[in-house]
Parts: sequence; C-alpha cells; structure tokens
Amino acid sequence: MSPAPRHGRGRYDVIVVGAGLSGSLIAKELGDKGWRVLVLEAGTGTLDGWPGHLDALDTFYGALAKVPNSPYRPNAAAPSPDVLDVTGLPAGGYRARGYFVQNGPLPYSTDYLRARGGTVLHWLGLTPRMHPEDFRTRRTYGYGRDWPLGYDDLEPHYRAAERALGVAGDAAEQAAAVGLPFPDGYVYPMHAIPRSYVDDVFAARLDGATVREAPGAPGTTLRVTGTPHARNSTPDRRYDGGRGYRPAGAAGLPNYGERCVGNASCVPICPVQAKYTPLKTQATWDRRRVRLLTHAVVGRVLADGNGRALGVEYQEYEDPAAPVATTRTAEADVVVLAAHAIENARLLLVSRLAGHSDQVGRNLMDHPVLLGWGLARHPVGPFRGPASTSGLESFRTGPARRERAPFRIEISNWGWGWPAGSPGSDVARLLGIGAGPAQPRAKGVFGARLRTALGEEIGRQVSVQFLMEQEAEERNRVTVDRRHPDRLGNPRPVITYDLSERVKRGMAAARSVSEEIFRLLGAEDRTAYEPGPLSPGYFRFEGRGFAFNGAGHGGGTHIMGASRGTSVVDAWQRCWDHPNLYAVGCGSMPSMGTSNPSLTMAALALRSSERIHRDLTEAHRPAAVGPLSPEPVGDGRTEGPA
Amino acid sequence: MTPKTSTPAPSLDDFLTASAALTGFDAFELHATGMAELYHDTAREQVGDAALGRLLDALAAAGGDPDGIADEIARDIARALAHTWYLGVWPQLAASVHTALGRQQANAAFTVSPEAYTEGLVWRTFHGHPAGAKPPGFGTWADPPPGAPAVARAGAGAPGLPGPRGGGA
Repeated sequence: MSPAPRHGRGRYDVIVVGAGLSGSLIAKELGDKGWRVLVLEAGTGTLDGWPGHLDALDTFYGALAKVPNSPYRPNAAAPSPDVLDVTGLPAGGYRARGYFVQNGPLPYSTDYLRARGGTVLHWLGLTPRMHPEDFRTRRTYGYGRDWPLGYDDLEPHYRAAERALGVAGDAAEQAAAVGLPFPDGYVYPMHAIPRSYVDDVFAARLDGATVREAPGAPGTTLRVTGTPHARNSTPDRRYDGGRGYRPAGAAGLPNYGERCVGNASCVPICPVQAKYTPLKTQATWDRRRVRLLTHAVVGRVLADGNGRALGVEYQEYEDPAAPVATTRTAEADVVVLAAHAIENARLLLVSRLAGHSDQVGRNLMDHPVLLGWGLARHPVGPFRGPASTSGLESFRTGPARRERAPFRIEISNWGWGWPAGSPGSDVARLLGIGAGPAQPRAKGVFGARLRTALGEEIGRQVSVQFLMEQEAEERNRVTVDRRHPDRLGNPRPVITYDLSERVKRGMAAARSVSEEIFRLLGAEDRTAYEPGPLSPGYFRFEGRGFAFNGAGHGGGTHIMGASRGTSVVDAWQRCWDHPNLYAVGCGSMPSMGTSNPSLTMAALALRSSERIHRDLTEAHRPAAVGPLSPEPVGDGRTEGPA
Repeated sequence: MTPKTSTPAPSLDDFLTASAALTGFDAFELHATGMAELYHDTAREQVGDAALGRLLDALAAAGGDPDGIADEIARDIARALAHTWYLGVWPQLAASVHTALGRQQANAAFTVSPEAYTEGLVWRTFHGHPAGAKPPGFGTWADPPPGAPAVARAGAGAPGLPGPRGGGA
C-alpha cells in the first residue's frame, strides 16, 4: 500500500490560500510569469462549470430569502457567515448564530463566501476608485489611519485592475464629478452601463440642487453620477490606444454573457455571467503552472524559527455535508493568504504569526449602510437593470470629514428590495399576512384589487443606500477561541464590533440628506427605523433611532502601514514579521474610504504580484517554459497539469 | 383508519376558477404560467381536499367575490393560494388555522419549485420581470415604464455611443 499522494510533491514557488478575487489575480500573474503556483481553496468547486452555475441559479430561485449567499450551498467543512445569522430583538439588541461568535455592542452583519470564486461571486459589481484624500485622512482630517502609499502609487494598478475585471464606465465623468485624477485621454475598457430611468428621475429633480445636512451647515450641491461597473457593456474602441477591448464572457459557456441583459439579480448571481467573477480569471490561468485544489481547508501557516514561512498545513475533505478530513502539508517559497479579511486574520492568529504589532484581527471594518426609502409620484420601473447604476458622490470628500464619517450614496434600482423585502413583503401585507403565524391577520385584499394595488405601490418604490466610511478602530476586532470550533475543529472567528460616534454622526447627516432627497423628489418618505427581528443593527443616537446593515465589505484586519510596530503588512501587503508571507485583500486597507472596495483590492493584489515576482526572481530564476511534468492526482477534484 | 371526510377532490378547473378570482389574473394567464397543476397538487397536499373544497364552496357561495368569504379557515387558505400564485411561495398558515386543520406537516413556508419563483405574478403587476430570469435586454432599464413620464436622459448627445439607448453597438 502506498501512502496518500502528496499534492505538494516537490516545492511550489507560491502557495495561494483562497481562490477568490485576490488569489485568482495573483495566481494568474505569477503563473503567466512562469512560477509554479498551488491555489488551495477551502470551499468546493461546484460552481465553476456551467451545470454548477445552473444549479446555483436554481438554488437561488428556490431560496425563501434571496440573500447574497442564497445560491451557494452550505459547507460544514468551510462554513460561511450569512446575513440571516443575525436577528434583532424586540427592544433593540441582537442575537447571533451561525459561523461567527459575536460579542460586540452592535452586530457585524456582513457575510462572505468560502467557495471557488469567493465572495465576488455575489458582489454587485460596482468599481469606483478610492479618492486621493481617502489614503491620508489622518494627515488631512485628523482621524483614522493613513496608507503607506497614495493614489498616485496605486493609479497604474487601478488601470490594470480595470482591465482585469473588465470595467464599464465614464472616466471623464468620474474625473469631473468625483475629482479622480486619470492619465490624459484614459477611457475605461467599455462604455458606461446606461443609467436607469430611476436615475433620470432623480437627476431631473436633484441635479444642481443644494442640500444641508444640518441646519446652518454649508450647502452641498447634488449631481447624479454614473458608477463604474465590472459588468459587460459596449466595448470602447478607443481603449488601450485604439486597440479596444474584448469582453470576457461566461466561464464554462462560450460566446455567452458578453453583455449585461438586465436580469436584475447581480447580487446574488448574474445568470448570464456578464458580471465579473474570479472564475473568469481562473479560466485564463496557465494550467501548466497554476494548480487548484478545492476542498482544502488551510488550518495554519508553517514557519521556521527565523520567521520564514515554510508552507501551510491543510485539511482535505470529501463531503461538505459530513466532512472527514485528512491533514496534509504543502511547501513553497512564498505563501499568500487571500482568504478574506476575517479568514486571513483567523489564520494568522491560529498560526501565532505576524503578531509583533498586536494589530492582527484589529481594525475590523465594513461600510455600515443606512437605507432610505420612499414612494415616488409616478411609476419608476423598479427591479430593472443592475442594482445601482448611479450615485450621489458629493458627501465622500471635503472638510466635513473632520466631524463625521463621509458617505457615498447609491441610488437603488431595486425598489424596496433591501429595506423592506419587496416585492414579497408587499404581497404578504396586502393579503393580511403579518410577521408570523401567531400574529392576527387582516382581512386582506384579493383579485383585481390586489393586482392593481401591488402594481401601483411597487411600481413607485425608490430607495437610496448610504455607505458610511468606518475608520480603523482597534477595538473592532476578530479573535479566535478554541472553545468555539467548527466541524473540522478549526476555531471560528469571534467578532467584537461597534460603530464609533463619528460613524453615527455620519448616519445622522445621511438621514437628513435622505429626507432632503425625498423632499426634492416629491416622494413620500417611508423610511422608518424600528427595533425588531429584521433590524439587528438598531441603535439610538442623539434621541433618534437608526438601523444599519452590513455591506459585505469586510476589511481592515491586517492593516498595512509604514512601520512594523503599528501595522501587520507593509505597502506590498507583505507581513513585516515574515518576509515571504503575504496577507492580501481588504484586510490590508488602513481605510476604505467610501468606495466599494473590490477594485482597490484587485489593484493591490496586482501590485503585490509584481513584488512577489521580484522576490522570487531574486531567489532563483523562473521555471523553464514548457509543460511541467504531470503529478499524481488523487481524485477528480484536483485540477492542474493533466 | 377512516378518512376525515369523503369529499371528492376539487378539480383543476374549479381550482383555477377560484385562483382567478383570488389573483385577478384569468384562467388562461394562470394556465400559461405552467404552474397550475403543481399548485393544485400543492394546495391539496398542504390543506387536504376537504379544506380546499371548503374554500371553493365559500367562494362560490360569495358569488366568486373573495371579499365575501366569511369563514376564517377558508380565508386563510385563500391568502395562501394568492401568495403562492404571486410569489411561488406557499406561506405559513395562521397558527389557529394550522391547528384547526390538524395538519401533519410543519407550518413552514417554502418555494414550490424554482420555476414557481420565476413564474410569480407579482412582477407582472408593475410591468417587471422576475429578478434573475426573463431578462428584458441591455439598456431596457433606461426606458420609462408604462405610465411614467419621459424625463431628460443623462448625457443625451454624448459622443461615441451609437445605437439604441445610448449604449448599443
């Protein structure tokens, strides 16, 4: 009897932990440069082929709550947090169950997905760049943490990320309305996604109007601005010096998904895959050099006494429903943790690595989201097109940041889907069905009256989403506790989370702006924040009630900085304490500004891959070009050299 | 064991007649969803033939007007049927009705089938399409929906955007 084949036979140049956005981009870059890369993915790979995609779509159709993780099957070996894990209590406060253990004053209601492709499978796909001042809020406005690099350092990588993800947008508009510097003549790979009729209604009433976020505050002028998307639109023939751009279609189905067709379900799944997912990048991996192993849960990073990472220990399992694991190791010259901010922190904590600064797991962030919703005076065509095609960008920057968190306003195209669970809740309400079976039921409306009432109400739903910047705070943190293991015995994340007064002041300003927006629209403001099961994020501030939601933008758990004493990674996302161990992703961000962070994460990953390439080149030359020798493959899930 | 009643099974036709009254969509439209038999079967499984017959009788006695249904058990089944047609989801019954019917299954909501979701009637009430299915095409979200006034388009006349809706090729 021979021993179980060792997947790490020989040494790899690089091990990447996590087959999501950052990991897929880094594996792509390094594989293309000739390095042998092993990608270890804790989740399954069932979503990569077209049949797996269709299965996920059916699971989404059949889900009662169409939450971001609803298309993707639970996995006991690599559990994921879910937004449904947190429920509110009748008088405020919350209860958490599921993967996270939560002990903070407020709940962390942000999810992620541990599966091949990662959380970006269910992202909305918005790709605004961060503003230059977002990188230096401490120096400029006296709060938060500064990045050890600036917008100008990252700008070429933003362009590289916009190519890698396939971004549609209007650079001139972004420059004018947001103040983003672009190189002269820069255009995005694709023309902007057309803005929605909802956006037009907002623009007709809001453009040029001035609102005050508090009595006596300076006026801020509104302007509806298109948002860049990683979503296939019409290629811009001017791109890349006139070479143009070819959209990347669906992974697993040729000549499909090369343009958005308006399914209006970007979150949680684009049926045609016109939205970027890391599966598209994986389809371009050089399979002679990039090897993917799914069902491989990395449990810890192995290091020697001098702080050099040697490799990783991982558990391989068969059945995600009833996991039984075999422990294996793999070795490489460089180890890259790309497993999500919270998972990266968890791995570093379990491995007792990178701890010199005592910042691992700290500074946990999100974009806490406040919602506002109302009824317009006429039909607006909700639930059509991407979830948001435009925003109001005037509150992202400027001196008001000294006092309160800045925010980006997304104009929703999906009615009250997020704030009220429409249209399902509207049907139930009109039929007289209350919150639960025990609640007395109203008589209800049926027939033509039901049909007409639904059309008149749902058709006029509008809502806005305020994404608040959350500054780095050490008290917001991830820890691990052996008393709370998952099914494979790995410690679950323990989350301690709260909102600062600065964020709450931002929400109070946002609430005032929300009221002004609905007043300008001539819409009936139906926003109401009440404690209850659906409002785990309810709190009171300055005499008013608020309820916030998670954005799915987890970050800040292994922040980068200028010195080893105060940060976990350097400007290359390389652990200060371990020169060949990288921790990449939103966890590295000392601040996230108000931009949906995936594009910035991608830019950072591409930048780090350049550094990793230099590290490896200094150590030895790349492998010879040509097919690598085949390796023993233990089962059908292993992908790699055939 | 003796069945509770010997009520004959309500026919699909009778079920559709009632469903049309409850939903405001005519029987032809309901047939066209492809869901009629599945919902008929689901209703019979969930509440039994006797209770389903009780609803159909109550509706008939009210002259086909659901507002005239006085019996609360029949009315809650009416809610469940309309909910299913509109959303593809069989809802929880009122706790009292669940108990009164002596149902053996859990009083749990469920999506009847993946297709039931995409065939939900609610999307049609506002000229929409089910989120995640039956996509209307690139850029269609820029058009005013029926009954909405035209408003100025952003970037009207922007260069380099040939084709329909300012973004087509």
